[in-house]
Amino acid sequence: MTNDVVVRLDGVRKEYGDTVALDGVTLEIRTGEAVAVMGPSGCGKSTLLNMIAGLDRPTGGTIRIHGDDLGRLDETGLALFRRHKIGMIFQFFNLLDDLPALDNVALAAQLAGTRTGPARQRALELLDELGIADRRNAYPATLSGGERQRVAVARALMNRPALLLADEPTGALDSRAGEQVMDLLLDLNQIGQTLLIVTHDERLATRCASRVVELADGRVVRERALERTA
Amino acid sequence: MTAVWRAARAAVRRRKLQTFVIGLVVLLSTATIVVALALLDASSAPFDRAFAAHRGAHAIAVYDAAVVTGEQLAARKPGVSASAGPFGQVSLDLDRNGPGPQGPVTVVGRADPGGPVDKLDLWRGRWATGPGEVVLNQPPPSETRGVPNKVDVTLGGKPFTVVGYAFSLSGSADVWVSPEQMAALHPTATQMLYRFSGNTSTASAVGARLAAVTAGLPAGALLAAQPYTVAKLQASADIGAYIPLLATFGVLGLIVAVVIVGNVVSGAVVAGFRHIGVLKALGFTPRQVVAVYVTMVSVPAVVGCVLGAVVGLFAVRPVLADGFDDLGLGGGVGVRSWVWAVVLLGMPLLVVVTAFVPAVRAHRLSAAEAISAGSAPRAGRGLRVQRRLGALRLPRPVSLGLGLPFARPGRSLFTVIAVLLGVTTVTFATGLAATLDRMSTIRDAATGQIVVHPSDGKSRMVAEGSKPPTSPPTATTKTDSQVEELLRGLPDAARVAAIYGLPIPAVGQTQPLEVVFTRGDIAAMGLQREITVGRWMRGPDETVVPAQTMRERGLAVGDRITLELDGRRAVLTVVGELMDGPPGPEGILADWSVLTALAPDRVVHPWEVMYQVQLHKGGDVAAYVAAVQAADPAIDALDTSQLSDFVVTVVGFSSVLALLLSTVAALGVFNTVVLNVRERRRDLGMLKSIGMTPRQVVTMVLASMALVGVVGGLLGIPLGMLTHRYVLPAAAESARAAIPHWVLEIWHVPTLLLLALAGLAIALLGALVPARAAARLTIAEVLHNE
Repeated sequence: MTNDVVVRLDGVRKEYGDTVALDGVTLEIRTGEAVAVMGPSGCGKSTLLNMIAGLDRPTGGTIRIHGDDLGRLDETGLALFRRHKIGMIFQFFNLLDDLPALDNVALAAQLAGTRTGPARQRALELLDELGIADRRNAYPATLSGGERQRVAVARALMNRPALLLADEPTGALDSRAGEQVMDLLLDLNQIGQTLLIVTHDERLATRCASRVVELADGRVVRERALERTA
Repeated sequence: MTAVWRAARAAVRRRKLQTFVIGLVVLLSTATIVVALALLDASSAPFDRAFAAHRGAHAIAVYDAAVVTGEQLAARKPGVSASAGPFGQVSLDLDRNGPGPQGPVTVVGRADPGGPVDKLDLWRGRWATGPGEVVLNQPPPSETRGVPNKVDVTLGGKPFTVVGYAFSLSGSADVWVSPEQMAALHPTATQMLYRFSGNTSTASAVGARLAAVTAGLPAGALLAAQPYTVAKLQASADIGAYIPLLATFGVLGLIVAVVIVGNVVSGAVVAGFRHIGVLKALGFTPRQVVAVYVTMVSVPAVVGCVLGAVVGLFAVRPVLADGFDDLGLGGGVGVRSWVWAVVLLGMPLLVVVTAFVPAVRAHRLSAAEAISAGSAPRAGRGLRVQRRLGALRLPRPVSLGLGLPFARPGRSLFTVIAVLLGVTTVTFATGLAATLDRMSTIRDAATGQIVVHPSDGKSRMVAEGSKPPTSPPTATTKTDSQVEELLRGLPDAARVAAIYGLPIPAVGQTQPLEVVFTRGDIAAMGLQREITVGRWMRGPDETVVPAQTMRERGLAVGDRITLELDGRRAVLTVVGELMDGPPGPEGILADWSVLTALAPDRVVHPWEVMYQVQLHKGGDVAAYVAAVQAADPAIDALDTSQLSDFVVTVVGFSSVLALLLSTVAALGVFNTVVLNVRERRRDLGMLKSIGMTPRQVVTMVLASMALVGVVGGLLGIPLGMLTHRYVLPAAAESARAAIPHWVLEIWHVPTLLLLALAGLAIALLGALVPARAAARLTIAEVLHNE
């Protein structure tokens, strides 16, 4: 693990009308860290994730990811930032139903201009590493929840992101599939992938994260280092 | 019902864009249909109404006074509900100053303008009661409005005073005199006017009734008869050409409306699955759900229909007014109640029926099924196509976009049909404009660019919009042949023709036949290109006849016409049909030598002749016109090489309607893209989250409709060409005209390529706004609102 800062939030504030979702959040995540953001519903976890992923813009404060000041990027700049710097995993997978697993994974690279052949080759390697290469031609509707989330992870890793963001990655999975995804995230972190996981699941946090950031009412109320249980 | 109404009202408010699109589509379609139906109705109904009001004659019969007596004719006949006559009738030469009929005219002796049949409108003055008084069948000249001036004419060489101007819808005479005056004029025939009971809808039905009337009369008693259908055809000819054109646009508009409304409503149901689930979970019965969706669509449809009817009324009024001015029908033309009933009840009904089918899908959907829609993965559609597209060397946003239509084949099909109809309309309008342009070119050639009219010292010919001459007119001192010689001798003159029209009695025809005698280069000027059937004249014993005259007089190629003037006869064979003919009164064309043969002593003055001039290519028309007037100030020359009002009107309205229907088609595409984007919000959010740029989003959405546009365009072009091929001859037929085949041959590769782009343009323009909206979609909101 190096000490390079991948994520730096400084006094980030987000308001939706009269509602304050984030209230001056300051946070740093270093390369190779696995950070879990926890807190009750409505505390601002997902909002924080959206800000870091460049999916939404803060009302105040600055966000720097891997050297990029997100506040200075226009919509296209943010899209390119997401394409090259981050990978995202969602609770409900968000795969394209019309494409088989392999093409869902290859999509991220193809949007970046990689030709179909090399993109599919890289996607196949990732699916193989995640143990679902044999399901490469299956459509999302025929995959199990765990398999779908693996495909989503493979897609997130396609462009070798500096930061992997996971929003309740086990929230829609049964316990067995959830365990598999946890193992997968742990393995990724152990080979150096920086992780930021938003979750309610204490087990997921303690299993995968090296640090937990607790939010309440849009503020960081507590940070604690963890000893992984795996 | 309150709950249904509240739910529908809430749905309308939430779907403002969808509501607006439905309303706009129905508005534009309704306006188009009002115009088409009103014109269709107006083409026949005003005549029928006026005919009833004037107690028009179903048949005008002319009997030989030497063979049958007035008493025999006045006796009650079977099948006759009313009759007028016997009236004395004679053909005399009318000579006069000023506008109106001249030459041989039909003069009838009548005691009054009323009576049980053929009630005349006395427009100005009074009825002829004394000797030397006549009433003319024509609108009064403008200078006699207010206090009528004394106007003198000569009839059969004797002086008469015009005491009134009247109008006979049946066209029973050109001039009326009192019965006593008629006796003094020695009538050669007796006129009877009949109204029949029973079926009189066709000329043959009228003929059958007349046969029953004349059954007991001596042989040869009936000289000629004219059914009222001739006058009806004449009345509807002007407006007739518009009807098939407007009806075509109307039908296209109707189909586009049905397709788009169907698509919009289907989409509303599909997009509202969750809403339907919630309604059912709240306790709405399946019927109430159907009612909510039908009401939701009906509200904008009714508003659009009412507004569209008003727009249609404003659009059709000027066309109706222009078309019926010459019929003497006053302000009797309007949009009749059945048109309002059909439009105001039919359009909403159509929308409701269209809405009903997809609403029934909502009826069948279970609440759980509906509520879970969207969160569970779907078994995708068009998978094989997507897979193949993914393997192509296309930018990924393009290949993703091209695959989108296959995921919703039904909706895509409707959208293709909307674009197809839009392109069909554009193609038809383009073909129509090109054909009319060609017809106009023929007309320009036939009129010879410049019309020359020597003055008789009483009037001048002034170009439309020009100031009247300041000095009083003087008669030209040149003879007919000298004028022709002058015109041929001026710079740039390539061809000169002389045209002289004269009504001449023809054996077997009740009314004299207008004969247009021609001399010079008339054929070479381009009139030959107007031939629609047969060929041009090869000798003085042949004639070509304009299509309208052919139909009015029941002539056909191969028929022989016997002209008779002052005891001399000329027999002409009809060898061809003309689209139109030279400007001026329409009549059969004959060589000048026929006139010489029929009236060898007749002196034709130059002011009775119309001269046409065609210049060498590149010749200066204005300079030639100036040269004519410089050579003889008593000769007027006009530049006639401009588009006719009809061409301008038709090209104008067809362009407007093509634009209108293309807009409606683009709205259909717009609606489809809005629905697609709404349904694929999650996918779009995901794609943006993995780095799809706004430009790539726009590209993907436009690509999804580009395919629809190309397919719609490629199918719409042949359909538009077929419509053009069949509707234009039908339009010509309605106007009792004909068009040469070659004016329909207007399609060229560059035109077709441009038209193919029209489909793409409609699709891309329709998709652009929602595509840009999709690019601006807030990802966080979409992805976390599962």
